[in-house]
Amino acid sequence: MSWHVPEEDLRAYARGELAAPALWSADAHLGACARCRGALGEVSDPVALDAGWERLDAELDAPRTGVLESLIVRLGVPGHTARLLAAAPVLRRSWLGAVVAVLLLSVGAGHLVRGGESPTLFLALAPLLPLAGVALSYGPALDPTYEMAVVAPMHGFRLLMIRTVAVLGVVLGLNGLATLALPAYGLRALAWLLPALALTATGLALTPRLGPVLAPSLVGGAWVAVLVLADVLRAGAHAPLAPYTAAGQGVAAAVAALAAGLLFLLRDRFDLFQGRAA
Amino acid sequence: MTPTVSASGLSLRYGGTRALDDVSLRLSGGVTGLLGPNGAGKTTLLRVLATALPADRGAFTVLGHDPGTARGRQEVRRRLGYLPQTPGFHPDFTAFEFVDYVAILKEMTDRAARHREVRRVLDEVGLADVRGKRIRKLSGGMRQRVALGAALVGDPGFLVLDEPTVGLDPEQRMRFREFIAGAGEGRTVLLSTHQTEDVAMLCHRVLVMAGGRVRFEGTPAELTARAAGHVWSSTERDPGAKAGWRTGTGSFRNVGDPPAGADLLEPTLEDGYLLTLEGAGAEVAA
Repeated sequence: MSWHVPEEDLRAYARGELAAPALWSADAHLGACARCRGALGEVSDPVALDAGWERLDAELDAPRTGVLESLIVRLGVPGHTARLLAAAPVLRRSWLGAVVAVLLLSVGAGHLVRGGESPTLFLALAPLLPLAGVALSYGPALDPTYEMAVVAPMHGFRLLMIRTVAVLGVVLGLNGLATLALPAYGLRALAWLLPALALTATGLALTPRLGPVLAPSLVGGAWVAVLVLADVLRAGAHAPLAPYTAAGQGVAAAVAALAAGLLFLLRDRFDLFQGRAA
Repeated sequence: MTPTVSASGLSLRYGGTRALDDVSLRLSGGVTGLLGPNGAGKTTLLRVLATALPADRGAFTVLGHDPGTARGRQEVRRRLGYLPQTPGFHPDFTAFEFVDYVAILKEMTDRAARHREVRRVLDEVGLADVRGKRIRKLSGGMRQRVALGAALVGDPGFLVLDEPTVGLDPEQRMRFREFIAGAGEGRTVLLSTHQTEDVAMLCHRVLVMAGGRVRFEGTPAELTARAAGHVWSSTERDPGAKAGWRTGTGSFRNVGDPPAGADLLEPTLEDGYLLTLEGAGAEVAA
C-alpha cells in the first residue's frame, strides 16, 4: 500500500474533526490498513479511540457515494445536498445519454445542412432539453418519492431549485459543448441560451397552476409553434428565425425575467401536492 | 388531554366531486383505523391531515399547530411521519440510502447523526440485515417496511399510514401489524385500510368513511355492536338480507334485518362495517 493517512489527518480523525472528503478516504483506508490503525491508536486517547472505532463501524455500514455525488462534494457542495442531487432521476446515465444523443444528432445535422445562416435544428432543440430535464425531475408522475418529499419539512421550492440548478448546469454545459462543435456559426450558435432559460422558467412558473406535466408540455408546444410561425414569416430562406434575432433574444430575456419573478412569488405553492387526489 | 389532531368541518372538492364533506374528528394517542370503500375520501383525508393538500373549508390543528399557515405546516411536518398508499423508491437505492435520503428531506443535515437514525429505524422495522441491499431486490413486504422506516425517521408524534398492508401475504401482514402496533406506542397513528382484521387486531378507535363523510367514529367494539341482532344463519340465502354468503360449513351467513325466529349469530367488526356502509348508502341516495 503506497499511500497512508497523514498523521495530521489521523489526529483530526481521532478528535472527530476530519471533514469529508478526507474523512471518507481515511474511513476506507483504515478499514484495510493495519499500520494506519496502529498509528491511530498512538495519536488517540482510549475514550476517543473507542468513539472512533464506533464511528468507523458505522461508516463501513453506510452507503458508498457514487462518482457523481463524490464529484459534487469535491466541488464544495455539502454532502446532504449532493445526495439530493444524486437522487434526481434525470442526472442518471440513461437520461444524460439521451441528451447527448439528441445533441450529437442535431449538431450532425448542422454540419450536413451547411449553407444556411444558422444551425436551425440545433437551435430549436437545445432550449427544449433543459425544459424537459427540469420537468422530468419533479412531480408525482415522474419523481417516485414525490409524495414523501412534499410532506417533508424541507421546502418543496428549495428541493425544486436544487434539482433545477443541477439539471441546468448539466444540460447547459452539454449544450455549450455542442455549440463548440459548430465553430462556423460563431456566437450565433449560442442563440439557444436565452430561449432555454425562458422556456424553463416559464414551465416552472406555470406548474402550480397547470401541473408538472401539462405546464412544460404546453410551453414546449408553444415554442415549436413560435418556430413554425417564425419560419412562415421570415424574410428569406437564409434569414435567421425571429427568436434568434437580436429582438427575439430580447423578448426571450424579458420572458425569462418575468417568469422567474412569477416563480418566486408562487414559491409556497410548491409545498403542496401538485397532482390529483384520490 | 390535547388531541393530536382536531378537525371540524373539513371539506374539499375536485371539480364536481366532493372528496371531503364536513369532516370533523379528534385523534389522540394509539392506533386509529380508517375504513371505507374505494372513493370514500380516505386518501384525501390523509393527505389533508398530512399537510399535502389544503382543505377548501373547515379548520384543524395537528400537534397543536395550524397547517393552514406556512409556519404551522412546517412545524407539523417536522413531527409527521407519512407512508403513502404506493410509496415510490429510487430503484437503484439500497434500503439504507433510501431512508438516508428521506432523513435529509427531514432536515437531518449532520451525517453522523443521520446515519445513526437510519440504522435505528431500519433496526426498528427489522431490516438491519438487508440495509445494504438494493430496494429492487427486496420483497414487497420488505419494501413496505423500508417505507415505514422512512416514515419513522425523526421519531414523529403523528404517523399517517395509507393502506400499508395492501398486497402483502398473511405472514407479511402479520409481521407488519407487529411493527404498526409498536409504532403506536407513545404516538398517534392513523391507519387507512380495507382490512377489517387490521382494525380489529390493532386499533383502539375506528372511523368509517363513505361519500367523503365520516359515518362512524368509536371503538371497534362499538362498531361490532352495531351488528348485534342483525346477523343470522340460514340454510338458504335470505332474500331479505343486505348481504349473505355461504360459509365453509354450508350454511348461509346473512347480514341485515333478520326475520322473526332467525338463528342469530355473534357479529364481527366486518358485519358492523357492512351495516354502516349500507346505512350510509341509503343516506347518500336519499
